[in-house]
Amino acid sequence: MSRIKEFNLPDLGEGLTEGEILAWLVKVGDTIELNQPIVEVETAKAAVEIPAKWGGVVTRIFHEAGAVCEVGQPIIAIDTDPTAPPVPGPSSPDSSASPASPASSASAASSEEAGAGLIGGPAPGGRTAVLVGYGPRTTSAKRRPRVGTGNENGHAPVAPAPTPVVPAPAPVVSTPAPVSPEPVVAAPVVVGGRAGAVLAKPPVRKLARDLGVDLTGVDGTGPLGSVTRDDVRRAAAPVVPASGPEALDLGSRERRIPVKGVRKLTAQNMVASAFTAPHVTEFLTVDVTRSMKTLAKLKAGREFADVRISPLLLVAKAVLLAAARHPMVNSTWSGETGEIVVKDYVNLGIAAATDRGLIVPNIKDAGRLGLRELAEALNTLVQVAKSGKTPPADMTGGTLSITNVGVFGIDSGTPILPPGESAILAFGAIRPMPWVHKGRIRPRQVTTLGLSFDHRIIDGELGSRFLRDIGTFLEDPSTAILSWT
Amino acid sequence: MITLGKALNHGLRRALEDDPKVVIMGEDVGKLGGVFRITDGLQKDFGENRVIDTPLAEAGIIGTAVGLAIRGYRPVCEIQFDGFVFPAYNQIVAQVAKMHYRSQGKVRLPIVIRIPFGGGIGAVEHHSESPEAYFAHTPGLKVVSCSNPADAYSMIQQAIASDDPVIFFEPKRRYWEKGEVDLSSALPAATPLHSARIVRPGTAATLLAYGPMVRVALDAASAAAEDGRELEVIDLRSLSPIDYPVIFESVRRTGRAVVVHEAPGNVGLGAEIAARITEECFYSLEAPVLRVTGYDIPYPAARVEEEYLPDLDRVLDAVDRSFGW
Amino acid sequence: MAKGESVAGTDIPAGGFVQLLTPDGERFDSVTTADGTTYSVDFTDEEYRELYRDLVTVRRLDTEAVALQRQGELGIWASLLGQEAAQVGSGRALRPQDMAFPTYREHGVLYTRGIDPIMPFGLFRGVDQGGWDPNEFRFNQYTIVIGSQTLHATGYAMGVTMDGKTGSADGEAVIAYFGDGATSQGEVNEAFVWSGVFNAPIVFFCQNNQYAISEPLERQTRVPLYQRAGGYGFPGIRVDGNDVLASYAVTRQALDNARTGQGPTLIEAYTYRMGAHTSSDDPTRYRIASEVEAWKAKDPISRLRAFLTKQKIVKKDFFAQVDDEATTKALDLRERVLAMPDPQPVTLFDHVYPNGSPELDRQRAVFTEYQASFEGSGH
Repeated sequence: MSRIKEFNLPDLGEGLTEGEILAWLVKVGDTIELNQPIVEVETAKAAVEIPAKWGGVVTRIFHEAGAVCEVGQPIIAIDTDPTAPPVPGPSSPDSSASPASPASSASAASSEEAGAGLIGGPAPGGRTAVLVGYGPRTTSAKRRPRVGTGNENGHAPVAPAPTPVVPAPAPVVSTPAPVSPEPVVAAPVVVGGRAGAVLAKPPVRKLARDLGVDLTGVDGTGPLGSVTRDDVRRAAAPVVPASGPEALDLGSRERRIPVKGVRKLTAQNMVASAFTAPHVTEFLTVDVTRSMKTLAKLKAGREFADVRISPLLLVAKAVLLAAARHPMVNSTWSGETGEIVVKDYVNLGIAAATDRGLIVPNIKDAGRLGLRELAEALNTLVQVAKSGKTPPADMTGGTLSITNVGVFGIDSGTPILPPGESAILAFGAIRPMPWVHKGRIRPRQVTTLGLSFDHRIIDGELGSRFLRDIGTFLEDPSTAILSWT
Repeated sequence: MITLGKALNHGLRRALEDDPKVVIMGEDVGKLGGVFRITDGLQKDFGENRVIDTPLAEAGIIGTAVGLAIRGYRPVCEIQFDGFVFPAYNQIVAQVAKMHYRSQGKVRLPIVIRIPFGGGIGAVEHHSESPEAYFAHTPGLKVVSCSNPADAYSMIQQAIASDDPVIFFEPKRRYWEKGEVDLSSALPAATPLHSARIVRPGTAATLLAYGPMVRVALDAASAAAEDGRELEVIDLRSLSPIDYPVIFESVRRTGRAVVVHEAPGNVGLGAEIAARITEECFYSLEAPVLRVTGYDIPYPAARVEEEYLPDLDRVLDAVDRSFGW
Repeated sequence: MAKGESVAGTDIPAGGFVQLLTPDGERFDSVTTADGTTYSVDFTDEEYRELYRDLVTVRRLDTEAVALQRQGELGIWASLLGQEAAQVGSGRALRPQDMAFPTYREHGVLYTRGIDPIMPFGLFRGVDQGGWDPNEFRFNQYTIVIGSQTLHATGYAMGVTMDGKTGSADGEAVIAYFGDGATSQGEVNEAFVWSGVFNAPIVFFCQNNQYAISEPLERQTRVPLYQRAGGYGFPGIRVDGNDVLASYAVTRQALDNARTGQGPTLIEAYTYRMGAHTSSDDPTRYRIASEVEAWKAKDPISRLRAFLTKQKIVKKDFFAQVDDEATTKALDLRERVLAMPDPQPVTLFDHVYPNGSPELDRQRAVFTEYQASFEGSGH
């Protein structure tokens, strides 16, 4: 250990960064005692005598009287063991007196305040003297760097990990930024919650996160328009209405299939919907012979040469065009806010059978698609659904749906509304049937359309007009397009 | 720019000037001007009958203040340090708090009890405590805490003018922090005593603090802003009653709340505030209301107090955790 | 009726006090008070020298502590400057089996109990809050909130009686230290009530140093403090607190009365706080220089030094030797104070309960993990 010790100009408090050496009370060669006053320093506030931190012989004085010295610079060197043989070597700076960065300085200076060591005056270590302790000091307004990425809850920190910084002195804040004495006028707030923000109970948020559902795209049906568990599940996996019992027979012949995943969600959604929205179902049997001919023509044309198209395409188009004529069918009942949310876009849901169960992915803003685009979207949707890879986003936000029970050879059904939607169309099998055509019984291509709708929003007249328009289109697509558009 | 301590001094002076019934009493408040110099010069200018050096007995200070108040005076009592209030605890919670109620409104006790509170001054034991919850828990007492010089100046006058008994907690580690104070301002123009105030607007989360922790919360918000996260900081100012509408409005906007106080967390103000936010803002919460508080231990020795006190890092750690939900 | 009305001595307060050594170093063989009690001491030359050594040492250690505080090495220091005789005299009067309850300024009493003087420095440095076992040292921990310890001492003394440890010359006694300011506290008055009612073997040793921070004695009392005892049913006596011999004699007598079952005594040691209340106090705001000068003339050390010199009890180099020894002790103390480690932060959670608490265990674990999450934390 070196016996030559350097004493640095201490921060005498109150944010001082420098001091003027007024007078040295000792000189090089003097033998001094511990606590003997060695120097008078003029700070912004007062002249302060500094006592020697060690006894010994003064070996060096770094600044003459009159010099302005920065806090932290050595001002005097003291040989604390002058009788020992000379020891060359580095001096050891006095760490305890080393002043911290100016940022550690305390509070406020004022000409009317106390002198060094007295209450309110400067105290060692950049503090302010108090009666009963070391005194307060101002801490840095900088974050300390953390290591790693985890925290005690196992959540990854959201903020980027602060980069380790060279320990440069923090900015001097000798007086804190003034606190606004006046209230800050807050942004106006919509009743019931943040403007544009989603209301949801915490467990619902958790569910949404687990299911990958972005709550901002989900329409809330709960109190104050908050998103409920059912809303999230519906958004995650809308489903078709029908689902046959899987467990059959008696005793050992019963199979027990755990209700989980899509099937569980389907069940819950269906129950929720069936017991929430008063369902009405209407049927319309229509002659779609002309549609089939139109389809054939399209297939023959160059436009659709490389696209697989089916009657579903025309049914979809019919629904979209009819919905445009009757916007109320494309809406959501929001009971707790006492509102009906009418949408001017159609996210068209198509029920699809998959290995995991029935899901209803939807085509976003399908009304804006041309026929070919719609056809491609339908194909993609079905293929992806069958592969089981439908992304959650495709399963949320549906507004109007079609269930194609016809592919199973079924004439029609009474579909249950996907929660949050107001209408769903069941599209039955197309069969050649005896039909009165132009006054005579002819074999025609005939299908039955079944439309379920939420009777809170859609009364019988509106539902009937909507269904009638779908039928009209399918009976004669060309004429319908010409007369509607 | 004057210090918070000086602002209190000016506020007390003005109260003494405005109402001859106002008297200041406490240990060392007279000739010495208080151990923190809050009453500096007041005895010299207003005399020993208005600024009274009392015997060293806190129960006596508060008990006699009750009698003075019944007689029509408005005593402003100084408890020298937070940890010294307990001999007076009986008088405060059993007498001061209940007098109006049990007299069916016939007795008003317009007593202000000033208590320098909180740590961070490197003191020995009993000089760094945060006993506010004991008083906020007691019906019949109003409890407030100022965080900056401008509030100190107006709030002390409002507390004295109020007919309610007010426990006035002063953030002793902030006594020397400076701010602009309009000493000519009219009291009615000041923010009402029991109002909270948004001292830094933000969108990402709401920090709720009072007294010495407001500075910490503001520092934390500054640091968070550098990371692109705008935190709203609310200075509660009043701890009983708490100005909940301001809190609820903010939390509904931000969806996240972190309450900061020095007092131990167990059954502290943060617990009450968290409960109320949960009750009123449940659908808006993105995360549980978190608390950054002292640990559930006696106030520790000076050399480890900074590990105990909530600081910028602990506040931001809580904010991070909030965002991890 | 209170004792202390009839005294010898010079420069005495109204009402008198027991004094055996004048400020000039004149020695009275004995003093008999109005109630007929005679006070005297019978020290050997070596015992006189020891007393002097004690006085000088405790003052020198105190001076070092004040410097350490000025250098930022102590958060606070409550100086005993001026009160050495009251503390050394009363402290030396204690027998080994006696128990002392100090307030926070009794570093001199602590020293006379043979305790390492560094023991209370943890509290003032802020690395602990005492941390010693009162029963091991027969010296309770310091009590910061004034007056509280007088009730503790009374309860302890009641326990002594319950244990049957009074009533004989080798019985136990208890001494409670407090100041003039504390006498206003309800708790001190309750301690008087209790000890009177239960005839507790206790000596209330009030160092009246004239100031409670800034407030002079007149803010605490209209009668001499020792006279308060009469109202509680036990004797009170005033002693010259700057006279180590009288302080010893009076305390010895009171303790022996207590240990033999004669109940409590209130001793008012009349002295003066020469320094500030604590290191950051500014006494010039509330007291005048001439008052301090007057008390300097009654210095407890210089009067004993004068006595030793006049009586030729000491050799020529004795005083220098004592000073050197004291300085050596002070510098040793200084080094050891500077070497006191800061506590490990996690120890915050230790000792809250004898039986621990699962919630605290959780908080400790969270705290440890949090601490380790910072760069440079060694993890």
